[in-house]
Amino acid sequence: MFGLYRQYWRINVLTTLEYRANFILWSLFTVVYHGSAIAALYIVLHEFPSMNGWTFRDMAFLYALWMLAHALQNTLFSNVDDVPERIREGDFDRVLIRPVDPLFSVIATPGQIFPDELILAASFFALATVYSGVRVDAAFVLLVPLVVAGGALIDLGINLGIATLAFWFVRVDALRWVVLQLEQEFTRYPIVIYSRGVRFLLTFVIPFAFMNYFPAAYFLDKHDGTFLLPPQVGLLSPLIGTALVLAAYAFWRFGLRRYQGVGH
Amino acid sequence: MPIIETVDLRKVFRSIKREPGLRGALGALFTREYEEKAAVEGVSFSLEPGEVVGYIGPNGAGKSTTIKMLTGILVPTSGTVRVAGLVPYEQREANAENIGVVFGQRSQLYWDLPLRESFELLRSIYDISRDRYRENLAEFSRLLDLERFMGTPVRQLSLGERMRGDFAAAMLHDPKLVFLDEPTIGLDVIAKESIREFVARVNRERGTTVILTTHDLADVERLCPRIILIDEGKVIYDGALERLREEYGTHRTLVVTLFESYPEFAVDGAVVESREANVVRLRFDRRKLSAETLVRRVLDRYAISDIAIVEPDIESIVRRLYLEGYGGTARVEPP
Repeated sequence: MFGLYRQYWRINVLTTLEYRANFILWSLFTVVYHGSAIAALYIVLHEFPSMNGWTFRDMAFLYALWMLAHALQNTLFSNVDDVPERIREGDFDRVLIRPVDPLFSVIATPGQIFPDELILAASFFALATVYSGVRVDAAFVLLVPLVVAGGALIDLGINLGIATLAFWFVRVDALRWVVLQLEQEFTRYPIVIYSRGVRFLLTFVIPFAFMNYFPAAYFLDKHDGTFLLPPQVGLLSPLIGTALVLAAYAFWRFGLRRYQGVGH
Repeated sequence: MPIIETVDLRKVFRSIKREPGLRGALGALFTREYEEKAAVEGVSFSLEPGEVVGYIGPNGAGKSTTIKMLTGILVPTSGTVRVAGLVPYEQREANAENIGVVFGQRSQLYWDLPLRESFELLRSIYDISRDRYRENLAEFSRLLDLERFMGTPVRQLSLGERMRGDFAAAMLHDPKLVFLDEPTIGLDVIAKESIREFVARVNRERGTTVILTTHDLADVERLCPRIILIDEGKVIYDGALERLREEYGTHRTLVVTLFESYPEFAVDGAVVESREANVVRLRFDRRKLSAETLVRRVLDRYAISDIAIVEPDIESIVRRLYLEGYGGTARVEPP
């Protein structure tokens, strides 16, 4: 498995180099995309210097935390998003004739995957950390990787759950799009600014708030007592992420048995 | 011990029932009525190691569905299936080690990569030892003449080159058995022949069991001593190709070119199959009427400029079987 995974990355790099122009455009797009999101934040915060006690500096850190977790999942697991399309086109068959776990086989399908977004996110995170003035101590250095990994797992769990629905419905792009929008919109601002319903949704139903809001609130000392949760709840994201991925994986195994293929 | 054994294998597909048109499509959004269609309906057969079997049937007969159950892609609705002692859908990964698959319609290779990289990736996937990998690759590249395009991205290969690459890819891990699903579709005569030669050779030298589904019956004639015919999800014939030809190939066609045009044409003991301009095709049963007698009867009545006897090809035999069903006795166990 390890050998396969190494090969997979080797091929990703080769393919990226094969389509250089496309790669450069994607990288530029990534910079512009995140750049404009941050610029929008800045403009909003210019009008209202603080939102429920969160300043622009705090929000830069909030955004950077989400961006890092999201980029990590995009870099490692973005192939999961291709599952519905592969099912629809019948290409999923080939995943099932390999002596490898089908999910691993999906994840390790080479394409044009390059850790450019991850590098960008890590750089931005470093900047935002300094800029926000968050206290960087041993605990911070130890906890950030855990929280980021947890955030990536939360992202993966939700994506995998949606992709698995394709075993029944074949096309799930609308749902995927809605959830992605939800993720992008509602991770930008601290969830305290939203109504109770939205906060509930983001905490207990689709727990995007554990990707960045709760961990950031913990690191920045901004307890708000939402749903009477203690500040340490921010450190739960690795646990929540793991539980979510395990649940999504069980669902995936169940869906695999329902796979009908295309044609007869 | 048989390498493949299926007993009463069935696969029923369930889909949402739709009335035709936009109205029907909208209706289907709100009702959950399902429609069931049995693609495979009680298929039983067994294969011994080293056999080459043609698995044939018209489009939609259930060929691919059977193959997908044997490879572990689909879970059967009922019945049992064993491949090299394993239940494919339960021991899918172990089963995958034993089998190789070539889908003529869909390449297994990686589109953006040179052939060599696809092979390297397969080496990792199947965990093939370095030595074995090197030997196999050298042999296949000699037999299939791969060397010339090993470094070309797969998307730039011709269909013939790509298929040769696909064959090598399916055989690299020394599978005990290979499934070839329409492997010669769209290929020219020369490419077809080189693929057939390769399959025959691999079977002969390595004892690999081969299941071949195809619409090109020349593949079958060239490679398969045994065929299994399936239609509407059921096996209608399982046995030697030769036997089928003997039992069903009892008809001959006499092609007569007339010297002048006659308003009527009829001969006792033969049926006029077709008549175009001055060429008449007469079908007769060689067990009831000898060709000599028939020719004499024709000559007695008509002036002709040319005459020929056509033996039935496997294609016309199979066509008759689809149309009429199998009524013979040759439902035999494999040799």
